[in-house]
Amino acid sequence: MEQWKLQPARDLGLSQSQRMRSLRRESGLIETGLHMFWWALIRSYLRIGHRLEVRGKEHLPAGPPFVLVANHGSHLDALTLFASLPCGLRDRVFPLAAGDAFFEATSTAAFAAFLLNALPLWRRRCNPRDIAELRRRLLDEPCAYILFPEGTRTRTGSMGPFKGGLGILVAGTDVPVVPCHLEGTFRAWRPDRRLPTPGRKITLSVGPPLRFSAMANDRDGWTEVAAAAEASVRSLAPVPPPTPSAS
Amino acid sequence: MTWERLFGYRHAFDHPVTLWITLGIGGVLVAALLVIAVLGQSGAVDGALRTELRKRTLSWLVLAPLILGPVLLGAGWHMAAVLVLSLGCFREYSRATGLFREKLVTFVVVVGIAAVWFAVVDHWYGFFVALFPLAVVLIAVAPIARDRPKGYIQRVALGVFGFMLFGCALGHFAYLGNDWNYRPIVLMLLLGVQMNDVFAFVIGKTMGRRKLVPNTSPGKTIAGAVGSLVVTTPLVAVLAHHVFRGTNLDRPFVLALLGFLTSVSGQLGDLMLSSIKRDLGIKDMGVTIPGHGGLLDRFNSLLLAAPVVFHFVGYHVGIGLDQPVRIITGP
Repeated sequence: MEQWKLQPARDLGLSQSQRMRSLRRESGLIETGLHMFWWALIRSYLRIGHRLEVRGKEHLPAGPPFVLVANHGSHLDALTLFASLPCGLRDRVFPLAAGDAFFEATSTAAFAAFLLNALPLWRRRCNPRDIAELRRRLLDEPCAYILFPEGTRTRTGSMGPFKGGLGILVAGTDVPVVPCHLEGTFRAWRPDRRLPTPGRKITLSVGPPLRFSAMANDRDGWTEVAAAAEASVRSLAPVPPPTPSAS
Repeated sequence: MTWERLFGYRHAFDHPVTLWITLGIGGVLVAALLVIAVLGQSGAVDGALRTELRKRTLSWLVLAPLILGPVLLGAGWHMAAVLVLSLGCFREYSRATGLFREKLVTFVVVVGIAAVWFAVVDHWYGFFVALFPLAVVLIAVAPIARDRPKGYIQRVALGVFGFMLFGCALGHFAYLGNDWNYRPIVLMLLLGVQMNDVFAFVIGKTMGRRKLVPNTSPGKTIAGAVGSLVVTTPLVAVLAHHVFRGTNLDRPFVLALLGFLTSVSGQLGDLMLSSIKRDLGIKDMGVTIPGHGGLLDRFNSLLLAAPVVFHFVGYHVGIGLDQPVRIITGP
């Protein structure tokens, strides 16, 4: 007879404030309810308000582990990717959000954690142990991440270079990296606006997954992973975006 | 009459035992604060212990009004407070055992707890009793839809156990509110099991040598267990004599038996939770109450004592027999 597997919540013993900022956070019934509510709300809003169109849906993996990477045009990006995935995956998909932007104030941290299921990524004081924890979770649980490897939203509308952090998560593993290109989110919610502008169309193009199992888990490997993912995301753009130097 | 029972705060101190216990608890808390202050001044205890003591006492200062308040205000408030307690305890339990990952089973258990609560508020004993087999059936059949037989027994077993503890056992605690005279009964039960814990701790610390069940709970001693039994039994018996004066229960042997059962079931509830925690390899069920751990760490002794006292009183006197039944669903 097989032994029972009793695995307490990995975030057991944390206060609510620590819990929403923890990389080990696991959802219970309340969080699942909130995620489903928010997912339905955002999905309807994007469909009606921004005529969201998803191309290449067949490339989305059936289940975790996977990492969605995309260009970052506005705060609508994570919501768009989040709403494009099947609802059943909601508790196992974690957008990685900037800790300094979303997880410092309690109100935004609660919003990011309990509605969006986001995990914090501290950009300036990033601890290598945090990345190791994220990598472990991706493989062990398994779960899925939504990541914007540019590291920040574009302020001009054109896509910036990808950073190597993505490589640290997936180099040398069999986890598929799914390139996604978001078109129109920058125009739909410009960085100088407080709220999005409904009516502006958003198109999400999903490309075939990339795998980096043969890639070395070191600095060179990470750079290569980032470069390959960046090229793949760029190739999904309907019209090649003009490079800043050309204008 | 029903309205008065549910929300009639003017009746709070109708029964002298209610007043005694309320005053007693208030007095003990004030005394505890004074003792800590004196000990701190004289430097008899070191800093760490003092902070720990103060944290526990401050928690009690918040906890005691939260427990006493609803009981005194009316049965409706008492029932609502027990619902919150049930759901809070179930949340801790499901997170500690890993059941929370099974969203469907936890959802069914929560629905079951809500249904028990409805039966309690409605004062519908038939539905209250029927819910135990019905909820167990629902918990057992709901996960079939998932078509994932691996781990089925564990999922269902944890769900049924959780429902039995927090729906069924704590449901009995809420159901006591259907008696017109529920205030002294509830307070007697609460005071009995909480003082039982305190006696076991104090007597065990001062006189205990031989361990009771060292693998389950290394802190508990035989002296503590027997000592608390010896002290709690007369305490509950005397209170019960005043609460049930002139009824079938008001006979020395029966009163003593009630005290004895309260003490034993309280201690067993404590040991049951210790077994759960030992099996999981965790120290506390949560961090809800500073200095105490989770809600379950505080209310563990109520889990078994509530149904025991309920049925004991029910057998000898009856619970809420003179009160209107099915106040919502009835004609």
